[in-house]
Amino acid sequence: MNGVSDPPLFIKDIKPGLKNLNVVFIVLEIGRVTKTKDGHEVRSCKVADKTGSITISVWDEIGGLIQPGDIIRLTRGYASMWKGCLTLYTGRGGELQKIGEFCMVYSEVPNFSEPNPDYRGQQSRGEMGFKVAQNQGDANFHMLVEAMAGDLQIHSYKELLIIRQS
Amino acid sequence: MSIVTSMTTGVSEREANDALNAHVCKGPPQHEEICLGLFTLVLTEPAQAQKCYRDLALVSRDGMNIVLNKINQILMEKYLKLQDTCRTQLVWLVRELVKSGVLGADGVCMTFMKQIAGGDVTAKNIWLAESVLDILTEQREWVLKSSILIAMAVYTYLRLIVDHHGTAQLQALRQKEVDFCMSLLRERFMECLMIGRDLVRLLQNVARIPEFELLWKDIIHNPQALSPQFTGILQLLQSRTSRKFLACRLTPDMETKLLFMTSRVRFGQQKRYQDWFQRQYLSTPDSQSLRCDLIRYICGVVHPSNEVLSSDILPRWAIIGWLLTTCTSNVAASNAKLALFYDWLFFSPDKDSIMNIEPAILVMHHSMKPHPAITATLLDFMCRIIPNFYPPLEGHVRQGVFSSLNHIVEKRVLAHLAPLFDNPKLDKELRAMLREKFPEFCSSPSPPVEVKLEEPVSVEMDNHMSDKDEGCYDNAEAAFSDDEEDLGSRGKKREFRFHPIKETVVEEPVDITPYLDQLDESLRDKVLQLQKGSDTEAQCEVMQEIVDQVLEEDFDSEQLSVLASCLQELFKAHFRGEVLPEEITEESLEESVGKPLYLIFRNLCQMQEDNSSFSLLLDLLSELYQKQPKIGYHLLYYLRASKAAAGKMNLYESFAQATQLGDLHTCLMMDMKACQEDDVRLLCHLTPSIYTEFPDETLRSGELLNMIVAVIDSAQLQELVCHVMMGNLVMFRKDSVLNILIQSLDWETFEQYCAWQLFLAHNIPLETIIPILQHLKYKEHPEALSCLLLQLRREKPSEEMVKMVLSRPCHPDDQFTTSILRHWCMKHDELLAEHIKSLLIKNNSLPRKRQSLRSSSSKLAQLTLEQILEHLDNLRLNLTNTKQNFFSQTPILQALQHVQASCDEAHKMKFSDLFSLAEEYEDSSTKPPKSRRKAALSSPRSRKNATQPPNAEEESGSSSASEEEDTKPKPTKRKRKGSSAVGSDSD
Repeated sequence: MNGVSDPPLFIKDIKPGLKNLNVVFIVLEIGRVTKTKDGHEVRSCKVADKTGSITISVWDEIGGLIQPGDIIRLTRGYASMWKGCLTLYTGRGGELQKIGEFCMVYSEVPNFSEPNPDYRGQQSRGEMGFKVAQNQGDANFHMLVEAMAGDLQIHSYKELLIIRQS
Repeated sequence: MSIVTSMTTGVSEREANDALNAHVCKGPPQHEEICLGLFTLVLTEPAQAQKCYRDLALVSRDGMNIVLNKINQILMEKYLKLQDTCRTQLVWLVRELVKSGVLGADGVCMTFMKQIAGGDVTAKNIWLAESVLDILTEQREWVLKSSILIAMAVYTYLRLIVDHHGTAQLQALRQKEVDFCMSLLRERFMECLMIGRDLVRLLQNVARIPEFELLWKDIIHNPQALSPQFTGILQLLQSRTSRKFLACRLTPDMETKLLFMTSRVRFGQQKRYQDWFQRQYLSTPDSQSLRCDLIRYICGVVHPSNEVLSSDILPRWAIIGWLLTTCTSNVAASNAKLALFYDWLFFSPDKDSIMNIEPAILVMHHSMKPHPAITATLLDFMCRIIPNFYPPLEGHVRQGVFSSLNHIVEKRVLAHLAPLFDNPKLDKELRAMLREKFPEFCSSPSPPVEVKLEEPVSVEMDNHMSDKDEGCYDNAEAAFSDDEEDLGSRGKKREFRFHPIKETVVEEPVDITPYLDQLDESLRDKVLQLQKGSDTEAQCEVMQEIVDQVLEEDFDSEQLSVLASCLQELFKAHFRGEVLPEEITEESLEESVGKPLYLIFRNLCQMQEDNSSFSLLLDLLSELYQKQPKIGYHLLYYLRASKAAAGKMNLYESFAQATQLGDLHTCLMMDMKACQEDDVRLLCHLTPSIYTEFPDETLRSGELLNMIVAVIDSAQLQELVCHVMMGNLVMFRKDSVLNILIQSLDWETFEQYCAWQLFLAHNIPLETIIPILQHLKYKEHPEALSCLLLQLRREKPSEEMVKMVLSRPCHPDDQFTTSILRHWCMKHDELLAEHIKSLLIKNNSLPRKRQSLRSSSSKLAQLTLEQILEHLDNLRLNLTNTKQNFFSQTPILQALQHVQASCDEAHKMKFSDLFSLAEEYEDSSTKPPKSRRKAALSSPRSRKNATQPPNAEEESGSSSASEEEDTKPKPTKRKRKGSSAVGSDSD
């Protein structure tokens, strides 16, 4: 059992299916509100710690209270795949607690909620196409390289989708 | 608290008191328990506060120390989280503490003042400002006992006055604040002096308020009336503001956040933090005044350690840059700039710190590239503040700014200021102003002789400025406004945006009298005529007469220098105006070369180069050149534009040799540099002829190319590209292009792209520059890498290219090699396979035998087998799950087998996936052969060869095979289609 006293888990170590997560992160962005059929408000927030960023799905009114820059402790969270993206949730009996603001160092990359080839059957060829250009200076170069390697990636990505669906 | 409650509820006051006392006596922990318990009750139970405070006063045995500490702690750490009642109670408690004259209550008052946020007129903040002010006013006598509290209170409320205007409530508060500050300033001026120069800054901002206007009069005219020890404004301006005052105007929360940014956040990661800070503190119009507090705090208080300074932590200048660029009002922006430069104005190296002036110079330095407008506006401000800050002290301010700049250079904050002050990205006018104000920090534009530009232009500019800025400063008042009209207009000149100053076409009266006396009578008359002459034609005639006289036999060549001085002075305007006509037509060009000064050039063109008059005229030009270096590019322009000079471009070479520089290359570079600084259009106009006429000087000069690409815009680039394609311009030659492109790797991104575009406009085979690949480092040279990559993809791979590409060191993120190999796989799979085979086999041999292999490769490329294999492995990974079956081609399989046979175990392990491809091949080759003709034939042989170095036969065999396939593109295509069909079947 992960209690509040346990050292928080790093975002990089969050894997789909993990439960009882205790994570401390800083809120970077708050997404638009969507409503579920039964009237729940859901917000997708991008949060990060020093190891990377991830999307957390925040339900109902607490989402309206959270602001970018808030440092939050999540207790009893769990992670699963939602539309192909790793997503963090507050579990049953879990909560989000603001423990500070602003003063936390984070790294926005890697974004573990991006469709990540690692979760798609470990094909190493994926390294090429999905990599985010980390350094702005050579982003251009990266994009170029990706474009040249690109059509192939998209092709196999589609294939994968077909395989998944079948 | 529960203990206290249990002891005091349900019993009489006396009993409660005894119980508390008894408990307190048990020891310090119990004492603390009771004190904090009562303190908590005061804060949370307004009804019991009175009684609890009394109890507290009775039982406390440490002069309330525990409580004072707790209050300070709560204020510093938790104030923002307190409920309103709690805040009210806290104010009440502090008032009680002050009333009782508790020692240390002044500290609590100061902590309380710190909670009042600058630039925040929300109700809660106003309430706090007013509550604390009330305490201080009510207990004025007590306040007067603590000099630090006096100074701090004055500093705080002087600053807050600026925020409080508009509504009646705020006006009333403002009046209270004014009265409070005024009384302390009048009565305790000495205590206020301890604030330092920022007291003046704050007083400037409130100078419009009548009470302060009166105070200003005294400060300036009658300082002794304020305090016998006060000698005047200078005394105050020369004393550095203590950090505690600069820090006191930031709330603890702001301070924490700024300190976090400057100590933990890495440069490049600051965006979100800035946004959050801005959202919280800088988003309203009222909050603009906070910027100055923040800037003063950063300059004066945040002094990072050397460790932080040398790390990748967000530097101070970057925060300042952010604060400046996000200013929304002119007033705030000009105040912000003043705050940034405030320690410069009266800087003295022994009293002030370099750290206080460093942010301004660095923000100018670092903004030059990304935001030249910021640099320009700051440099402009720096120039103008000297005369405008306070005219009677202009000399001091000038001295202060000079000392700052000197100190900056001495301490090596920047090694040279010339690149900053004399940067082509800045307006001509601004640069002229900088040269005028700071000649010692500007390199002279070109030749060795120091050129002094003393011009009366500044008067012009000032008038122009003040006209424009009337009303621009509604409440950033001129501080010293009692000096009547003079200040009325001058004080307002603290400028926000940089307005380019209008070209001063006015012919200023030029004073050449000192020179005239030294001239011969006849020459003097002519020069005077020249001076009076108003129309160009008349001037030209006189000029011709002067030239004729110079050429007369009895002319005293001693006079040349004086004459040159006169001409230089007389035609100053000529060197300031545009050279190249707006619209370029034959007529306009011809007209543009009709200037009197150009008559010298014309005469030169008409002469025989070997006669003595020719060299005499060159001497005159050389004299002129010393005094006015711009004449160099004027000559270039004349030679290009004038019909009379057609085909005489080489005259420039004679001129260059006659100058003191004495050498064509140096002279040309100097002149092009001067031209670049003055007129980019002209530079572009001159470029084709310079390159055509002086190929030996230009084609090998990376310096010249950089000069050009550093200033042109995309339209000018396009123009040059067209010139190249039309054959008017050659900027690269095979023998030197590689070298120039290598030099370009250190240039700015846009400059590099320009260089590549210009290169691509030429018809130089890519092969020529392929060796540049060895200089291109991943991450360091993205521009060149992407340009080269895009070019390589259009080429059919040659063995040399493949070799160069494979020679790149393997880096997990560097995908250059893999991407180009992949591309070639798609387009030229067989050719690539042959090259790779050949390279694999060649490099498979032991190093000592490499020499005997007379391959076509150059000695530069350091290609190892392991590298090739690693790149191939990356390619293999990239191609998995595609229909590309590059790796099933015979030559590759052969080569892999060949290599595998002689590989050591470690490599076999490392590249087992790669080698396993070849194993499959062996199996399939025993089955009915695939469409490959040679597969069956050559594979046994290659297996035989595996143990020995490849022989010539093998090589020639493979290369002839590749040639054969080269010449037949069609079968290749068909084959690929066929094989891909097979691929999809197997899927």
